[in-house]
Amino acid sequence: MSQLAGDSTVVKADTVLRINNLHTYFYTDIGVSKALNGVSLDIPAGKVMGIVGESGCGKSVTALSCLRLLPKSARILKGDITLFRRTEKGFDPITLTDLHPMSVEMRKIRGEELAMIFQEPMTSLNPSYTVGDQISEAIILHQNVGKDEAKNRTIKILDQVGMANAEGIFARYPHELSGGMRQRAMIAMGLSCNPAVLFADEPTTALDVTTEAQILDLMRDLQAQLGMTIVFITHNLGVVAQMCDNVAVMYLGRIVEQAGIDSIFYKPQHPYTKALLNSIPHAGSRTRARLQPIRGVVPDPYSSIKGCAFHPRCNSFMAGKCDQAVPALTHVEEGHTVRCFLYSDKVEEE
Amino acid sequence: MFNYILRRLGYMAVTLIIVAILGYAIIELPPGSYVEVEIQRLRNLGGNLSQTEIDAMYHRYGLDKPVYERFFIWISGFVRGDFGEAFAYNMDVGDLIWGRLGLTLMFTVGALIFTWVVAITVGVYSATHRYTIPDYILTVLQFIGLSVPNFLLALLLMVFAQDVFKMQVGGLFSSEFEKAPWSFARVLDLLNHLWIPIIVIGASGTAWLSRVMRANLLDVLNMQYVQTARAKGLHENTVIWKHAFRNAIHPLIMVLGGSLPGLISGETIVALVLNLPTAGPLYFNALIAKDMYLAGTFLIFLAIALLIGNLLADILLAWVDPRIRYE
Amino acid sequence: MTETTTPISQPHVEEPVSNVGQLSQLTLMRMRFSRNKLAMIGLVGLVIMYFLSFFGPFLAPNEYTNQNADYIFGIPTKFTFTGSDGKFGFYFHPVISELDSVSFKFIHKVDTSVTIPVKFFAKGDPITLLGFINTDIHLIGADAPYRIYPVGTDSIGRDILARSFVGGQISMTVGLLGVAMSLILGSILGTASGYWMGIADDIIQRAIEVIQSFPTIPLWAALAAALPPISQDFTVIHRYFLITVVLSFVGWTGLARQLRAKVMAYRSADFCQAAIAAGASDARIIFVHMLPNAASHIIVTAALAIPGMILGETSLSFLGLGITPPAVSWGSLLRDAQQVSVIVRAPWLLLPGGLVVMAVLFFSLVGDGIRDAVDPYSI
Repeated sequence: MSQLAGDSTVVKADTVLRINNLHTYFYTDIGVSKALNGVSLDIPAGKVMGIVGESGCGKSVTALSCLRLLPKSARILKGDITLFRRTEKGFDPITLTDLHPMSVEMRKIRGEELAMIFQEPMTSLNPSYTVGDQISEAIILHQNVGKDEAKNRTIKILDQVGMANAEGIFARYPHELSGGMRQRAMIAMGLSCNPAVLFADEPTTALDVTTEAQILDLMRDLQAQLGMTIVFITHNLGVVAQMCDNVAVMYLGRIVEQAGIDSIFYKPQHPYTKALLNSIPHAGSRTRARLQPIRGVVPDPYSSIKGCAFHPRCNSFMAGKCDQAVPALTHVEEGHTVRCFLYSDKVEEE
Repeated sequence: MFNYILRRLGYMAVTLIIVAILGYAIIELPPGSYVEVEIQRLRNLGGNLSQTEIDAMYHRYGLDKPVYERFFIWISGFVRGDFGEAFAYNMDVGDLIWGRLGLTLMFTVGALIFTWVVAITVGVYSATHRYTIPDYILTVLQFIGLSVPNFLLALLLMVFAQDVFKMQVGGLFSSEFEKAPWSFARVLDLLNHLWIPIIVIGASGTAWLSRVMRANLLDVLNMQYVQTARAKGLHENTVIWKHAFRNAIHPLIMVLGGSLPGLISGETIVALVLNLPTAGPLYFNALIAKDMYLAGTFLIFLAIALLIGNLLADILLAWVDPRIRYE
Repeated sequence: MTETTTPISQPHVEEPVSNVGQLSQLTLMRMRFSRNKLAMIGLVGLVIMYFLSFFGPFLAPNEYTNQNADYIFGIPTKFTFTGSDGKFGFYFHPVISELDSVSFKFIHKVDTSVTIPVKFFAKGDPITLLGFINTDIHLIGADAPYRIYPVGTDSIGRDILARSFVGGQISMTVGLLGVAMSLILGSILGTASGYWMGIADDIIQRAIEVIQSFPTIPLWAALAAALPPISQDFTVIHRYFLITVVLSFVGWTGLARQLRAKVMAYRSADFCQAAIAAGASDARIIFVHMLPNAASHIIVTAALAIPGMILGETSLSFLGLGITPPAVSWGSLLRDAQQVSVIVRAPWLLLPGGLVVMAVLFFSLVGDGIRDAVDPYSI
């Protein structure tokens, strides 16, 4: 990796999680699906990092790789993930990719350091146990407290995520709660052990718009209150604009552009980011203007595309260049990188 | 919960009445009553029966009355515990059946416990070790278990035990303990005679149930909440046994009631082969001899046992599954 | 890929060629089925077993009812490939049978000093194939007075191989016929129950509940016990059909339940609601909109029900309540092998049992294959 996240010796003071050149492949009956093809990302502490992209671009796989919760068919081939744990003395880096997914250390990190909220609130809570049981389970596990204390803390967190009558909710089963309430419960579970990084994988996609707005407000408030680090995975640029401080745009297992929220929306560089932005309606834009969909579809992950993965759909395609090699990440300005031959001829070494 | 049980009991009462009617229909169904069989037998012996003698026999067994009257006589006797006469034994049906029904239930419950313990263990193992060699071996065994008729399995195990282990199989006791007073050795001998029938009766149910368990658990392991549990940092064993297992077991309890008829069926036929003094041999012999009161009573009691089993299974399901409990 | 008018040069990308969209549902199912190795093994196995059953009288060297009083519990014929002259060929050693004066049992000994040639397409007992071909030619045989018994004989000296083959004619069709009958009954009652609901549904559901509250084999046995014995008016064929009726008396209930649930689900589905709103008749809704959708489900349920029926017939006949002599089925053949002493003396009597296991196994594999082909997402 080049100048940016590259030098693993140089760690920016506020990085809490570093993903470096991550390759995650799925081995299935049909073939090998290269879900991640060298993802590098520094996640700054206390900020909200958005990961955006179409379905199947590897957003969720990135999160699952960090938590080491990939299915058995998946393997991390190359690259590493480092967690910089907060201690009194400063950083205590630990390489997650060196741990066995089922090891004691990894399990201790899961829930305590890294937590995750999933997309489907309807199915992400166990129907057989009460909401309270499921949240306090994590507290008992990680915080070394008894059942009663765990219950107190759980009720406090339920209250914190805006559940009226938190005590009543504690004893409820998931099927008795609405989708929004369940997602609040999931957020409560994620927050229960005060993790260093909270991955939120499309947490509002399955909710209706009003509930979505409430949940986003809640997350934003909690983030500000607790100074939490959130990795927010979504395909919805509107949500990104509302939630995130930094954005990484992914396409087919690679990050193609990364920048602060303003740069992404006002100075997008990569053709894919531009296309994404053109495909959503803007308030105040000319009423007669048509939305521009992105040509084609995301290619089948089992196929391998030579050169830049986006070139078959790209409006700025340069024959003999884009279809020959993968462009390297280029620094276009402070905190803004892009992977495109329009800005640099540098080639990514395989 | 209480209302639920009450409602179920109401349904059961209705079903019971129809079961009784159908049971009696079966008693009446065979052409040629026991009396005709008996008359034929006496004639064959050389006796020449007069018409009055024949009428007297019909009258003695109440066969000269119309069907519906006989049904009411029979059913009113039934509820008082008078099930009619076992012609071939010249005994009251009631005196014959209780001990045998009790043993049938004992073997059925034993087989049920065996089935569940083995099927759940095997099912969980093969679901968590999918596509490994032990899983393939278990799959083959399951297919064979489903394909071998239980009476054949009983025969094979009998030959095997007798030929290879020089064990005496069949019956409840070895010959030396048959008439002996109760003692520790006799209890041991009894237990020694129980395991083969229980394995044989439970074999196909175990094969089937472990497939169901495997499929259920695989389904549940794909659920998001299992991932949630892992994301909490729980140990994989806790994830499987606390979070996945609890949900995978629901469909199993749902089919619990449905698996009982197979077990009772299996018990009756296996008992015949293994010469166990349970309901099975008596029942089938009664059918062949057209001793219909005996057969009908057995059949109705087996049905009642099943209905109670179903009720218990439903209550159990309501108890484990919060979603049903609050309906 | 069509050439667009965009001025920017278009990259040439090979669109992956897939014909999935152009195949009919049925072709897809057939493809999925034929890719399932276990299901194909099952299918081939079944074809072989049906062939053995219906051409069995020709393939076996003896007629299945032919008794050989000198060869009680006769041991299998020992074949050899070297004749007395040392030449390669198909031969067998004859068996010398003696009555043991102490136990009064026949003792059979293979006389290896003598070799007799096996004749192909030899003349033997007269047989009828498929009900209309009369012949006395057998695939293998030997010159009189010698006879070949490839797997041995029973208690009155009948050829177990021939009997097992012929037994398959009943055992391997009774399940199919029983399932076909259950299918008709279950489809009508299940659809009616789910479509009209109300009283009809209540009655049918109670009936199913009652029937299912009896243990299967005892109920079958009770019904079969009501059948009259074989006589001039009540032939083997009558009994055979009535046994399938008895089997389907219980079999329809499961199918009716499943179909009811399906039909009820379809009723509230948009495509049926649309048809109802358009004023389609009940018959049209049922036959055009519901049953074709449920067809694959019906077929799968039926296929998976066959093994249970075969096992049912076998158990009934084993109890002496199903197929009775002079007809033979695998179950009735196994009646001869009830005692351990008999099995130890003549283990070949268990051959029909092995055939039952194979038939049920093959039917299960095919049934599972059909299910997976129809619904690849179920487990």
